[in-house]
Parts: sequence; structure tokens; C-alpha cells
Amino acid sequence: MEAKTAAPIAQDVVDRFAAIVGKPHCISDPEQLRTYECDGLTSFRARPGLVVLPGNTAEIVQVVKLARAEDLPIVPRGSGTGLSGGALPIPGGIVLGLSRMRRILEIDFDNQWMRVEPGVINLDISKRIAPHGYYYAPDPSSQQVCTIGGNVAENSGGAHCLKYGFTTNHVLGAKVVLADGNLVELGGPVLDGPGYDLRGALVGSEGTLCVVVEVTLRILRKPEATRTFFATFPSTDEAGNAVSLIIAAGIVPAAIEMMDRLAIVAIKAATGVDWPDVGAALLMDVDGPLAEVEHTAAEATRWAQEAGALEIRVPRDAAERDVMWRGRKSAFAAMGRISPNYVVQDGVIPRSEIAPVLRQIAQLSVSSGLRIANVFHAGDGNLHPLVLYDAAVPGQEALAEHTAGEILEICVRTGGSITGEHGVGADKAPYMTSMFSDDDLATMNMVRCAFDPDVRMNPGKVFPTPRLCGDRPGKYVPHATETTGLAGRG
Amino acid sequence: MHATSDARVAILGVVPRVVHAPVNADECAEIMTACAREGLSVGIIGGGTELSLGRPPAALDAVIRTRAMARVLEYAPADMVIRVEAGVTLAEVQAVTRAERQMLALDAPHPERATLGGLVATAGYGPRRARYGAVRDLLIGVTLIRADGVCARGGGKVVKNVAGFDLPKVVCGSLGSLGLIATANFRLHPLPEVAQTAIFPAISAETAASLVNRMRQAQLEPASAVAIGQGAGALDLGVRFEGFDKAVAHQMKRLRELGPSEALSEDAAARFWKRHDEARTGGALRIRIAALPSHLPATASLLSPLFAALHGAHFVAYATLGLTFVTGEIADVPAATAALLAARSALTGSGGSLVVDDAPADVRANVDPWGPLPGSFALMSELKRRFDPERRLNPGRFIGGL
Repeated sequence: MEAKTAAPIAQDVVDRFAAIVGKPHCISDPEQLRTYECDGLTSFRARPGLVVLPGNTAEIVQVVKLARAEDLPIVPRGSGTGLSGGALPIPGGIVLGLSRMRRILEIDFDNQWMRVEPGVINLDISKRIAPHGYYYAPDPSSQQVCTIGGNVAENSGGAHCLKYGFTTNHVLGAKVVLADGNLVELGGPVLDGPGYDLRGALVGSEGTLCVVVEVTLRILRKPEATRTFFATFPSTDEAGNAVSLIIAAGIVPAAIEMMDRLAIVAIKAATGVDWPDVGAALLMDVDGPLAEVEHTAAEATRWAQEAGALEIRVPRDAAERDVMWRGRKSAFAAMGRISPNYVVQDGVIPRSEIAPVLRQIAQLSVSSGLRIANVFHAGDGNLHPLVLYDAAVPGQEALAEHTAGEILEICVRTGGSITGEHGVGADKAPYMTSMFSDDDLATMNMVRCAFDPDVRMNPGKVFPTPRLCGDRPGKYVPHATETTGLAGRG
Repeated sequence: MHATSDARVAILGVVPRVVHAPVNADECAEIMTACAREGLSVGIIGGGTELSLGRPPAALDAVIRTRAMARVLEYAPADMVIRVEAGVTLAEVQAVTRAERQMLALDAPHPERATLGGLVATAGYGPRRARYGAVRDLLIGVTLIRADGVCARGGGKVVKNVAGFDLPKVVCGSLGSLGLIATANFRLHPLPEVAQTAIFPAISAETAASLVNRMRQAQLEPASAVAIGQGAGALDLGVRFEGFDKAVAHQMKRLRELGPSEALSEDAAARFWKRHDEARTGGALRIRIAALPSHLPATASLLSPLFAALHGAHFVAYATLGLTFVTGEIADVPAATAALLAARSALTGSGGSLVVDDAPADVRANVDPWGPLPGSFALMSELKRRFDPERRLNPGRFIGGL
């Protein structure tokens, strides 16, 4: 797809940005700008006017102030791994890349928090504290490359958020630069600062409120033990039933992931794992104190068998466990082995609806003629259908996009959500109206306007139609019939 | 729709002209719309368990009581999610979910009276927050009736959901200043098979902090760890484990390796937790302190001038969280006032806070309930202005007079 473009930014303005961040960190060459035309959602492209890569907070403040003076929109960007077009540039606008902000600033093991810059890679956080027996819980599949700043923007999840929660449950505070250039602390390592929970508003706001320059994260002591098992089933019906039985038994697995036949085929082709060709598989972790894990692992195994498991494999050692998990986490990329192109969908359904919804998705596959692989976080009903297509076949890309959209409608009809972890971004903004009324969206917009009344930060994302702030929401104006006494209210 | 005048329904001594008791969200929105039309200020009361919070409202024309909005709207045990109206009490939710061996993992005080709407608005919690998190971690969706009567939803009915801004987080702890929480959706947890409590009796704050540290090192996962004392000198640290029978027994055994503790019988454990409830909620003065958990000894010594100015004082520390309550009767008003201000100044200096949940009028006269404004106050103010531009919702009661 061709990138949307706009008039270039005047050279004297470019020079002023370059003076702030240093010439090597200010990219305006059209060829180099190409790298930043899209994020992980490559079907949406736009050419930014300028990419700036500041190295510290003071530079970010100056960049934001200059962008404001020049009335340029700002799109913050981490590693660009997002899958909803959250970091899609505004044509001719500023992309503020945070990849140079990658220092770990402070670690307090006794009180279980650390302070990091937004460009730190998710996995590097856990790696840094692992020797001390600690880890950072949210583990998106892209954790080897995605940044913590991007995780904050998207409220990223991951396989292990079933038990431990999402990014929002692990961010204690943040230092942010507002659109007017002011530096503000939201929350912090001490709980319950008086006032509104603004860091709660920040996490998951997809870069539309401010620029995060520091994040205070909760870190966890490693559990005493972890047990993993891999179970195969004739079809997703039995696998879905196994998930229900395990949860109904009062077990909260650390993770419980499902893969269907097509996903297994792709993962095998890509990673060489020796999984059998079956209709469905579950990969499950339980963790906690040793005695608890022994109990829950045995119980979960029993319920999987009860549900009709064909085979249950327990990894012999940590290395074998890593191979199993690598297989799961490489699932999206593995689709490249079985299809030239694919659309990654992200939707949520109530867990009890897994089996019927998967059957509806199978019907969509038949009616569209496109193969659909399913690999997902079964414990919390977060589906990731992968709609496979060939862009070389005219019309197939549009058909794939349409089919992926129909899956979202199924999610909403069952009482679920249009996104569980990839975010709304540019991709799903049009679907927001299927979940939220205009009043709901207007209310969310009030939060945005409190932070960024000029709508300078990542405009055009999340909301289905452009929304402005106006200086002041209007005072209540009664309808003419009320003032004349023809009709009453309340 | 019932509208009455009732002098007993007062917020911090301010009596409303009219009291409404809507039975559902629609009725509630109609009332709010009518109040908007007439420019009336509105206070909101749930179970009335935390009416002493904050400053007296600057204006209070109408009060909306939510207790008659008391239906459980949806409960899907297989999905472990419940949707309730604001006036449902915590005890009612626990009774409904217990039947399915589930629970709302919230153990705030006064469960028989405290409503879910009120618990969201005040960000209420109990000792088990140590394990399960705060209301913000359990709330997955809300319906908010805005100051202009518009009904807005945020979040949803599934635990995992990142569609749109997180309105549920924004309203947690907002004390009725942004809108009326009409319905709330929560994630549930499995009801633990068993629960057991052990206490480390008569230990110092230093020992308590060190034990908490060593529990974490030992990879124990208590549901709660609470140190209680009359003053902060000799503390009884109660540690509760819950879950599957074998796992609890194993952790109780490991706990004994850390120091001289005593496993409590079911009755003794119930008495310990009742003592916690009474210590935390009794007294004319009730304050809430937040500091880093490792600062527990510093917090304890910081409070000795305050204890000297109280009688019947209690110290209740949620040791893994760094949250501490002090309650008691005021023996010496000037000394208590000075001690509160000095403690607050020291705590805020190290990133913490001291909030006065309740105090007699002569202490309130000199000690603001919320304390100094955070650096983000301008942003909070702007949030309030966007939601309630005419400042009609609980005006003046929240931090900085929001």
C-alpha cells in the first residue's frame, strides 16, 4: 500500500528540531523516513514529515514545545511492533521515537519496583532482575523487541496475564511530558497518592494523552515453582471444554494457551517442534508455592484427561519448556510458512463461548474460502484468529480484512471486546461504535481533552471520527418544549 | 421516584434540601438531568460507611442515595464476571458468588452496609488487597451517570479488554466528583478451599518489616499480612494464607521457619481479624498513611508524637503494601494537630501521604483531610472541569476542593 504523504516540513524547522536532538537523531530524508511509515500493521502507511529520536527528558520537552509552536502533530513510537497502527504517522507530522531512552534508572527489590525509561525492551527488564530472583510479569509475545513505553501505551497483555494482570496492573507511576511541554509525575512507587488515578487513565491511552519519559513498574518475586504441560485434543471443542473444567475447579493457571490444527501446522513448520498433527492443543503453566503447584498441575492434568485429551506431555527440563513456549510465541510469524500473507485479529469473548465462537469462525472460513488459524489466550477468551490470504490474488486482501472484521462483530455480539491487547489504533477505530455509543466516546474524549486540549498527541487514533475539545463543554441547554412547559423531563 | 427531605442524610454536617432514591440507572439519569436543568449540586451516598471522607461539600442541594439500586444484573459463573447495580452491598455479592464457590476478592470494612458503588468511588479495600489487588484491579466496566445526566459506559464485561480509554480506572477513588457510578462489572476469583492465619506476637515494627521481607525471599504468597498494635510498640503480625488445603499447610509450615509464630485456630483467627476490623474502623480520629513497605519502622517511630496525643489508639499496618491506619480518640487537640501535620510533612517528603478519613471538627479546622496538592493537580482539576464544568458534583469535597 502506498504511504500517505504531505508537504515536507520547512528546512529551517527541521534544523531547529535537529538542534535539539542532534543531527544524527533527526531524520528528514525521504528514503530514511520510509522505515517509519508503519508499525507492525503494515497495511496502513503514512510518511511522517520528521522523525526525532531524543536522548533524554529535557530534549523531549523541547521537541514537544517546538512541535506545539509549529502546530505539528506528534506520534510517539517505541519499537514499532504494535499491531493496530497505533504508531502510524500523521502525514507530514512528527514521529517521536523513544528508542534511545533505554536506561534502567533505579531498582528497589525490598519494595518491589523499578524505574525505567520508555525505550527499555520488555524482556530486558526481566533479564536485568532475574539474577536477584525477580521478574516483570506482562509478557507480550513480542517481548524480545517491544518497549515498555509501547506496552504502557497499549496496556499490553501476554500469555501470563491471566493470573498476573496486564500492564495497567503493573505500572505504579509514570513521568510524562504533556502536550504543552509540562513535565508531570503520575503515581509513583508509594501506593494510593490522593486524587484521581491518572496513571490508570494513561495506561492503554495509545499515545493520545502525553509522552511517557519514565515508568515505575511493579516487579514480582519469582514463584517457587512452575509446572508446564502440553495437551492435545481431537478438536477445539474438547480443548475449550478442558479450559472450562480447569477454571471451574478453582485453578487460576498462570497461562493457558490454545492452538488449533492450522496453527500447529504452521508452528511446526517454522520452529521444528515435534508436536503431533491434532485438532487442538493447550499449553499451560501453573506457578506458585511448590505444594500448590503440585496440586494444581495434577488437578489440571486430570481435568484435561476428563475433557478427552489425547496425550499430555510434560517438559523434562527448562530447555524443553522454553522450546514449547517459543513455539507458541512465534505463532504469528510462523504463518509466513503456510501463507504468503495473513491478517492478525485480536478480539475477546466470554471464556464460556470459546467452542461456539470457534465454530462460527470455521463457518466464516468456509464462506470466505480463506483459511483461518486460531492461536489464543484461552483462559481469558482473547482470540487471535489469523486470516490467511494471498495478496497476489486480486480481491483477497480486501476479503481477508472483511472476514477479520466479521470476527470482531461476533466478539461484540457475545458480549466481548474488539481488542484484548493489540489496541484500537488506526485499525479498529471504525469498530469502536460497535461497542460504544456516541455518549461513551464523548466521555472518553473528556479524559483526552483534560490532557491534550489541542489534540496534538497521536490524533486520529482510538476515536472513530475526529474529535476536538472546545474550550469548555457546553452548559445544559433545555429544549424549547421544556421552557414552554409543553414537555417535562425526569 | 421518591424525593424526600431527610435531615439524617447529611454529608459532613451539610444537609441536602432533597433526597432521591432511584431504583435503577434510568431513573438515576433522569434525576441527574433534572438537577442539571435546575443547576443543583448533587451528593451521592451508597451505604454511608465513608461519609466522613474529605472536606464538607461547598454546596449540597440534592443527595442521590443508591441503596435502592440493588439488583445483581448478570452473573456468569463460567466467565467469573458479575455485573451489579451500585447499591448492591459487598455482603450481597459475596452471598451470590459463594453459592458458585467464587468471590469478589474485596474485603473492605462494613460489608453488610458498604455498597459496590461506594467501594469504587472511595477505592475501598481490606487486608487481602495484598494478594488480589485494589478495586482498580477488579473493576472491569462501569456505567457512569455524568453531571449532565448523560449515561456513559467504559470498559466491558470481559476481563481482558483494551478498547477505549480506561474509564473504570478514572472513576476509582473519584469520590462522586466525576459522575454517579450506576452499575459496575467485576472480575471474580475462586473461593479458596481453606484459609489459615498465624501470628507473630508482640514484635517490633523492625521485626515485622524484616519478616515481610523474608516471607518474600522465601517465596511465600500470603493473602494478607497485617501488623496490629495499641501504638506502634508491640505489634502482632497476622499472616493469612488461603487456597488449596495442601498449599496452605505447606506455607504455614514454611512460615514457622522464619520465626516464632503461632498458628491460630479458626476461632482465634476470626478473633484476630475482628480485632483488625475494630482497630481500623473505630475512633473519632481515623487516618490512612501510605509509604514504602520497607519504611514501616520509620513510619512507626514518626507516629509516636501522635500516639502521645491520643488515647485508645490503634496502629494497623498492611505490611506488604506500605499502607497503615491509625485510629483513636483525641486526648490533646493541639498536640494531635501538630503531630498530624509533622507526620504528613515527613511522609510527603519521601513520596508518601497521610489522609484523614475522619476527625473531630477541632482537628479538621487545622488539618486538611487530603494534604498537599500533587504535581499533577492541574491535570486533575482539568479532568474535573471536563466532566463537571459547573462544579455541581460533590463540589469542594475532594482533594484541593475539586
